[in-house]
Amino acid sequence: MDNLAKHLLQRLMRRIPASMLQSTLDKWGRLTAEKRKSLDFTQSKLTITQELVALCEESELTVKHITELEMIYVTENPNQGMWHTFQLLDPEDDAHSVELMQFKEQFKSHLSELKRNVSVKIKKHTDEAVWIRVAWGDGLSRPNHLKATYVVHYLQTPYVFVNALSSKNKPLLLQALTLSTKHQQIKAANLSGQKLTALRDLLMRQYQQVFPTKYPSPLPESDQSISKLRIEKVQAEASANRHRMAGETFGDGMLPALQSAFFQLETKFKDPTNEAMTQRDEPFICSVKFSSSNLLESLRHCASSGIASTPVTPLLSSIPLKGRNYFVITNNVPNA
Amino acid sequence: MEGSRERTPHSGGVKRRSKSQSYRRSIRTCFGVASGLSLTPALTARRMNICRKAPKSQNITEKVKPEHLALLVKTEWQLSYVTPLYQFRHTQLKTYARQLSAFIAAEKQQGLAVEVGGLQNTFKVSFSVLQGLAETNDDPETVLIQVQSKPMFARQEDPPKTVWSGWLSCINGNPEYLQSLPKDFTCLPLFCSKGAEGLSSLVKSWLQRTFDCCFGPLDINQTTLQWLAALWTNCHMETNIQKLKMIWTLPVVPPLQVTYTVDSDDALELWRSTRESSAEKSRGAEDEVCIDFSEVTRFMQGLMSHFYRHFRVDLSAGELNQVSSALGSAKLNGKIKISSSRYLISIFSLLTECALLKMPI
Repeated sequence: MDNLAKHLLQRLMRRIPASMLQSTLDKWGRLTAEKRKSLDFTQSKLTITQELVALCEESELTVKHITELEMIYVTENPNQGMWHTFQLLDPEDDAHSVELMQFKEQFKSHLSELKRNVSVKIKKHTDEAVWIRVAWGDGLSRPNHLKATYVVHYLQTPYVFVNALSSKNKPLLLQALTLSTKHQQIKAANLSGQKLTALRDLLMRQYQQVFPTKYPSPLPESDQSISKLRIEKVQAEASANRHRMAGETFGDGMLPALQSAFFQLETKFKDPTNEAMTQRDEPFICSVKFSSSNLLESLRHCASSGIASTPVTPLLSSIPLKGRNYFVITNNVPNA
Repeated sequence: MEGSRERTPHSGGVKRRSKSQSYRRSIRTCFGVASGLSLTPALTARRMNICRKAPKSQNITEKVKPEHLALLVKTEWQLSYVTPLYQFRHTQLKTYARQLSAFIAAEKQQGLAVEVGGLQNTFKVSFSVLQGLAETNDDPETVLIQVQSKPMFARQEDPPKTVWSGWLSCINGNPEYLQSLPKDFTCLPLFCSKGAEGLSSLVKSWLQRTFDCCFGPLDINQTTLQWLAALWTNCHMETNIQKLKMIWTLPVVPPLQVTYTVDSDDALELWRSTRESSAEKSRGAEDEVCIDFSEVTRFMQGLMSHFYRHFRVDLSAGELNQVSSALGSAKLNGKIKISSSRYLISIFSLLTECALLKMPI
């Protein structure tokens, strides 16, 4: 086992939390059951790492095998780092018939045409996602396995999620993706975040949608009411309406755990009580960032509790509707 | 010769009374027996100013040593208030340093966790005066306390590391209140600390028992945060504040944080438009210009209404947690950072006022 493989393995072991070590190694399957049993997982990480390096050396494992292990770990724990979303546009006629083998071949060949010395690994995950790991080298150097880019794409959807891509390699990767999926263009989708699962669920609408209904509640019975009851009834109706509209905008139940949304505002300042500012021609430049451990649930609660007036403004409803969390708003017209 | 420059107001030639009598007197002062001591004039004077002067950029490097200023700026301090200190002498600082060192060592021996370093560390305490920060004749001089630590097996040439620092000050304190205090009391109501929490508790504990005072957290409330937002924006006329950043939290589940950052030129224009226009307050004579809190409120309302127009979310339903600009940052939980010494006096005058409002009498 050469030094690079050892170094890679040691780095990887520092990343993997102790609780996940055993299951990840089991899934990897490159070590025999016997060898795996010989590892004592109650020891310190450092000791386990040393023993593991020794076992891998015995089995004559190489960089290729270690990168497999890394890919298994990242695939099972995708909510790390920063994921950026891209959208494929203008599909060609046969775009929806692209299937896995074809995509794999095409992607690898296109990418190696664009750049020499890249190492590509493609795997299909159980949930139909295609995972791609790219280690970048160039004409002069071997692929750098310490800073690999990960790409996730669901075939037959226009969305691609990318992690750890340098600006130097960005055009190459995007071009290879566009060609191999038989599209003509690709653009940034203005949706980024740490939790891949949240971004994916948001875009693929994999959460409980609520469809607007014209008659939300059964027809009320004619009720003899004392005035206090009437007040309560009106309040209850208002509250029910807010809840309904909040649900229609954001969804029901558990929502994808999007963590932030950013708005760059360059609109004019309009306030009837402040003439001086309203008469200004230049825009009022400011930015707003919303953050939360689950932004969509927070916003839904804002709407249902009345902190956000309903119906919810298009700026906020665009987050779930358009599946984006980065917006530039100019001239009083929201950016499409 | 120690003692010639440092002032401790009211320290005159006080005869040392019996301990029990003076102790009783200080307790009475603390918990206010209004009949015995006429404190009402002080009470009515201590109210949050609704009108204050705009902070002017002051070059205080002539008043305060640059190395002292360097200790204070660009670092985040945790704020507390402290009641007046009984029989504190600016001339006894070396003694206090020795006593506090001994106290910390004794507490450590008793097993009180200090969180800093291992059991082998020795702590050395120093008390010094930061001359020049006191603005008026009634302000006592600021006192700096530093705790340095040196692992027992460190080499001789290794410099000891400062692991904790704190300072007591009173900047532009309300003169009526300060003059109403009985002799022997030194009012340094603003306590700023930085470093391990364990050491903070020990220092406060020693100060409490030595000078019969009480400490409490000084939260920077909504009003003060709004003042800072407006004052810092006002400073943009003289010094580029780059951006005005405000962070609100909204009480939803899970809590929602809103970071609202405004370009400084636009913020200044909005601020100017909310100032009442009157002949004296025009561009020319802005020297003694007074800012009224109603102008601050209008400024904040302008910002919140611009926000509401876009998001239809009412920021006043939440709580303003933090305000920051290139000049510094202030947080609701009582943390302040001043990035420029030019406005140090103004901001700490505001904080001294907040601290004095917390005095129990």
